[in-house]
Amino acid sequence: MGAPETPSEPPVPGRDPARHRVQRELGGRKVLMDGEGFFMHAEDWTREAALTLALEAGLARLTDDHWKVVDSLREYYFHHGRAPLNVELKKGTGMSLLELEALFPGGIKLGARRIAGLPNPKTCM
Amino acid sequence: MIYLDNAATTFPKPPDVLRDMVEIVQRSGVSPGRGSYDMATEAQRLVDETRAALARFFGTPDPQRVIFALNATDALNLAIQGLAQPGDHVVATRLEHNSVLRPLYHLRRQGVISYDLAPFNAAGTVEPEAVQAALKPNTRLVAISHVSNVLGTVQPIARIGKVCAERGVPLLVDCAQSAGVLPIDMEAMHISVLAFTGHKSLLGPTGIGGLAIQPGLEIRTTRFGGTGIDSRSLTHTQDMPHRLEAGTLNFMGIIGLSRGLDYVTQRGVGDIHEGEMALVRRLASGLGGLDNVEMYCAESFEERAAVLTINVKGMHPSDVGAILDGDFDIAVRTGLHCAPLVHETLGTFPEGAVRFSPGPFNSEDDIDRAVAAVTAISRSSAGR
Repeated sequence: MGAPETPSEPPVPGRDPARHRVQRELGGRKVLMDGEGFFMHAEDWTREAALTLALEAGLARLTDDHWKVVDSLREYYFHHGRAPLNVELKKGTGMSLLELEALFPGGIKLGARRIAGLPNPKTCM
Repeated sequence: MIYLDNAATTFPKPPDVLRDMVEIVQRSGVSPGRGSYDMATEAQRLVDETRAALARFFGTPDPQRVIFALNATDALNLAIQGLAQPGDHVVATRLEHNSVLRPLYHLRRQGVISYDLAPFNAAGTVEPEAVQAALKPNTRLVAISHVSNVLGTVQPIARIGKVCAERGVPLLVDCAQSAGVLPIDMEAMHISVLAFTGHKSLLGPTGIGGLAIQPGLEIRTTRFGGTGIDSRSLTHTQDMPHRLEAGTLNFMGIIGLSRGLDYVTQRGVGDIHEGEMALVRRLASGLGGLDNVEMYCAESFEERAAVLTINVKGMHPSDVGAILDGDFDIAVRTGLHCAPLVHETLGTFPEGAVRFSPGPFNSEDDIDRAVAAVTAISRSSAGR
């Protein structure tokens, strides 16, 4: 049995990387990102930025399949004002989510969504 | 759709719940107790009957001390803010949901209280000795979940209640995950006040919950407004239940809660719990052989509610949830489950984990399909 703990100040949010803000240069422009590397503003994204993020994630190049996912995510986001539902993502890319997860280092959220420049989902996923 | 997120909200509901919500509101959906006409009296009778049924269900003698709120979070806020006074010390635990952690943190930031958190052991249990060790001379409240919403572990409330009773400290129990699947007897378990919600295992709708308060415990008013009685006074009435209820009640929600409670009492808490636990054991057994699936607090399923939390190694839990939903039509809850300290202790912060929580209407086939889905996901992850 451990000792009772007087919680630190603040108890949790300060340790949540999604709450941090980082400015960095990507694709020749300064962009604001959160601590998990998500764009704060999806409109700051460029294809060059995607290539840089992909390289950092371990992808030497983005294939047609990768671009299909990235473009599908962005088109949906800017048309609907939100990221696609799971079923819509499948339909839009023609891939299963299992295939899509395997395609990107980091998977769907930390891979595809981040490289596509969509903001970090606000819900407690 | 295979729905395995019943720890968040049970789905579907028994047919009587929605049917009677609609029928009764169509017939007499007026302000309960706010008028001298028969429909208002009839609405009040239904509210009173629900209070009485809840008092019986929780083993507390006075139905007037069952008060309605929006949900367990709302009820916990009423209890914590209505009990804590300047200079008080409060004991809670690392198992708690933000519905307890955040009100406590807010009060501490306001300079009202101090608090300490008792740890839980490797089995996911807060030992009574841990609560005892956290008590101070100025401790005026102990708050603890009956069941962890992340781990499903049942806390030894009766023994913790005994510790509190011996020290004369009120015990507040968050029954969000237990009401409807575990027997609760406030008297026998030394519970001073409990918070419940309608939309989980009591099988009612969202938007209705409340407190059950033992005689002798006085919770201060922290909301003020219309009650339908004593309207000449600018002072909010101190009569129960109105002391803690301001404004027109969620009559439709109360009807739904009442019918959900009817279903639970007719089928039996034990029967529902047994059925759900059989499904969780089947799930754990099915996932147990997968090398890259990590299950938390799954060594024993004694003293448990029907929750199993896992991670697939090498895969983000939100991706596992998305794949289960998008590819396999299975709904689960991923992330921190509003209980960040549990995940800190498990080492799963900040990504969290994947929580499966079967309900009273799931089948063995649902579980077998979930096992098959996680197997496919884990193979994909392992094959890299």
